[in-house]
Amino acid sequence: MSATILPDVLPPVVRRGAVWGFLRRHPTAALGAAILVVMVAIAVFAPFLGTVNPIAIDPIHRLEDPSARHWFGTDMLGRDVYSRTLYGARISLGVGFAVALCAAAAGTLVGVSAGFVRLLDGILMRVMDGLMSIPPILLAIALMALTRASVGNVILAISVSEFPRVSRLVRGIVLSLREQPFVEAAIAAGTRTPALIRRHILPNLMAALLVQATFTCASAMITEAILSFIGAGTPPIIPSWGNIMAEGRALWEIKPYIVFFPAVFLSVTVLAVNLLGDGMRDALDPRLAKRL
Amino acid sequence: MLAYALRRIAATIPVMLIVAFMVFGLLYLAPGDPAAVIAGDQATPAQVQAIRVSLGLDKPFLTRFGTWLWQILHGNLGKSIFTGLPVTTMIAQRLEPTLSLMVFSTLIAIVVAIPLGVLAAARQGSWIDRAVMALAVFGFSTPVFVVGYLLAWAFGLKLGWLPVQGFHPISDGFWRFLRGLILPSVALGLIYIALIARITRATMLEVLSQDYIRTARAKGVGMGRILFVHALKNAAVPIVTVIGSGVALLIGGAVVTESVFAIPGLGRLTTDAILQRDYPVIQGVVLLFSFTYVMVNLIVDLLYTLFDPRIRY
Repeated sequence: MSATILPDVLPPVVRRGAVWGFLRRHPTAALGAAILVVMVAIAVFAPFLGTVNPIAIDPIHRLEDPSARHWFGTDMLGRDVYSRTLYGARISLGVGFAVALCAAAAGTLVGVSAGFVRLLDGILMRVMDGLMSIPPILLAIALMALTRASVGNVILAISVSEFPRVSRLVRGIVLSLREQPFVEAAIAAGTRTPALIRRHILPNLMAALLVQATFTCASAMITEAILSFIGAGTPPIIPSWGNIMAEGRALWEIKPYIVFFPAVFLSVTVLAVNLLGDGMRDALDPRLAKRL
Repeated sequence: MLAYALRRIAATIPVMLIVAFMVFGLLYLAPGDPAAVIAGDQATPAQVQAIRVSLGLDKPFLTRFGTWLWQILHGNLGKSIFTGLPVTTMIAQRLEPTLSLMVFSTLIAIVVAIPLGVLAAARQGSWIDRAVMALAVFGFSTPVFVVGYLLAWAFGLKLGWLPVQGFHPISDGFWRFLRGLILPSVALGLIYIALIARITRATMLEVLSQDYIRTARAKGVGMGRILFVHALKNAAVPIVTVIGSGVALLIGGAVVTESVFAIPGLGRLTTDAILQRDYPVIQGVVLLFSFTYVMVNLIVDLLYTLFDPRIRY
């Protein structure tokens, strides 16, 4: 035996400075990443950023315009809009990330199952077609009507309406990967299916999943705000950007700032996530992910 | 062609069945006993049971699904728990505003987005291209109600050009009808504009790099004719596909837009039904919107052969 025996699993190729290089080549993605980092920091450190209790009622100081004391003014119950908006970042980002994770996990499970088990393929994909025939926001609304309003249920409802698209994408990639010579070689070498999926399929799905998850995150944040805005989302007691806007809605013609500040935060955050997603898609593969 | 059309139409049947099954499951899983609601507070358990039997609620799941589906196919969507009116009547009363809003938004989106996308592709890398791409990213990132409030604030409150709220049926006169629709349609159309402009640009870039375009230029065809006749025709299939799949965004957006602009349409009906947990109404609206969406995409698929005669099935 003169041939070098390769180890069972080769160490992954480490590309040093890959992230840094990506951000330098894609300045808009870097901008998105920077905004996102700031938003996450705001969400995490909300209690230390000069906020007061976001649900503390102060009826004497109702509907005050923005001032040194209340940077974003106060709402109809005298609650500080600045504090509510900052704490609202927790809900929006939390829901966005959680949905991205859940939808990616569920989509991978269904997509890989459909791609590997011929018997399941037809059934699973018809069900996914059915789910995708219901406009996503409508499906999330209908699911919310079934359950109690809670953040967990919001995450679940939006995940259910988002994951069929992920499963479609994953199935497509799995089917094309199965035709690749390296996968055929692995099968010929006797690799069992679980190991094949773990070692050869999943790593090659990562790039597409990452890009898709980013867009899912952006659309989940918008959907959460829409659900809360029409009163079918996060419970009103919890300050989320959608809730703050829903409460400011009745008065927006005279006190537009209550709607304005959470709207700006929401739009800027979603913009940041989209910029990051666009950059990653361009860097990884322009044809990877679709928004619809 | 006819065989393809028939096969494509037949393929929508299982999808619609699955949708119907899921929508029925929604009502089945809904908390609360409809028989108890109809019987009222004073009813004895025996009376509730009698109503349950008369409504067929004691039957097994699949039997109920079959009966329900049969009713749907005969145009009976059940009755609202709150108003007692047939759901079909309630939908018919709210159809005009939503339909006008969606049709108008689609028209605005197509008229604005396709020329923008073509222009961006023709001048790739120029400021026009960058502006269109920036508009597309902003369109994707700004939730429809934020755009709605912004437009209402600027053109309704500050400038006073257009009404901030409300809807006038077309029978009130076309001008009043149109004035009320402009702001909500633009707000709703923005994300659609982003979607269509983006795909138009991408497809046009691909088409413009092909040989026959160079040939056309070499023989002296004008740029406008090349872009809008030679190239756009060959870019039509992906663009029309996206217009079809974008209807899902339009439907979801309509629910919110109607809330912002106080338009008494199907979106408002949905929102109210959710807040009151009026399950038959929710069911009817979801079914109708999904059916519309499936039908639009069926028509799009059938249109393919019209836009691109090379496609043979």
